[in-house]
Amino acid sequence: MSWQLHRVDDRLIHGQLVIAWGHVYHPQRIVVVDDASAENEWERDLLASAAPDAEVRVRTVAEAAREYAAEAGAGGGAFLLVPDLATALALVEAGAAVPRFNLGGLHYAPGKDKINDYIYLDAADRRAARALIERGVALEVQDVPASRAQSLTALDPLIATA
Amino acid sequence: MARVPALLVTHADLGAALLRAVAQVYGPADGVEVLSNEGLSRPALEQEIARRVDGWPAGGLVLTDFFGGSCHTCVQSVARHRDVAIVTGVNLPTLLDYLHNRDQYAVWDLAERLQKKGQESIRLQRGQNV
Repeated sequence: MSWQLHRVDDRLIHGQLVIAWGHVYHPQRIVVVDDASAENEWERDLLASAAPDAEVRVRTVAEAAREYAAEAGAGGGAFLLVPDLATALALVEAGAAVPRFNLGGLHYAPGKDKINDYIYLDAADRRAARALIERGVALEVQDVPASRAQSLTALDPLIATA
Repeated sequence: MARVPALLVTHADLGAALLRAVAQVYGPADGVEVLSNEGLSRPALEQEIARRVDGWPAGGLVLTDFFGGSCHTCVQSVARHRDVAIVTGVNLPTLLDYLHNRDQYAVWDLAERLQKKGQESIRLQRGQNV
């Protein structure tokens, strides 16, 4: 069974993921793909403490790409989390055959345009999104399971020309 | 004993609503700061928390809504190198107890008191047909 959700969320493990998505899918494992967190023991422990009901693995992009196919065939369900679109693209370019990413939270920072209340993108984000789409990866905007999933390209026409 | 300052970090406008409720049963909660995570990335929320906590001369309390949420995670990151005690699961009785006791306790002793108060504040009662 394995992969149940691939999510782009700059908050990584937090309430929406554990409470909303977690109560729908009950993942046994949560794989956080973030080079900076993977190299920081304190950050790894912090992420693990935020999801007490799942095994939390914090991986570099390279490690996650290597382990991706084996995890896809593992028993029980799993979530994969990346903090931004650049990491999502790097993971796919490193060989992980991710079919779609759920965009759950890319919050405001200077220079980013508002797409909706929880998605803000700049030119670099749009280029990464376009590259993912060109590789056949679907990008869907949806914060919690109870809300409607929307295609990112439908919400942001600028991605087509990024 | 110096007053223990407090910051309330919650989802949406829960913190502000709690303070409005407090104002009705206690009066204005002077000195309690409120911060929502709404629209903020992790670094931005951590920065906002740090900015407030760094204004405290001798540490203080940060109250968050639930363990493991982004509010709590960000508070943990900020508190790691600061004189801050974290209390999760804040509710109205906890907040009222804080206001009644913030001048009588040291930071950690007050945090322990609030944990006990919060846990004791949830009670069960049967209606006639339950």
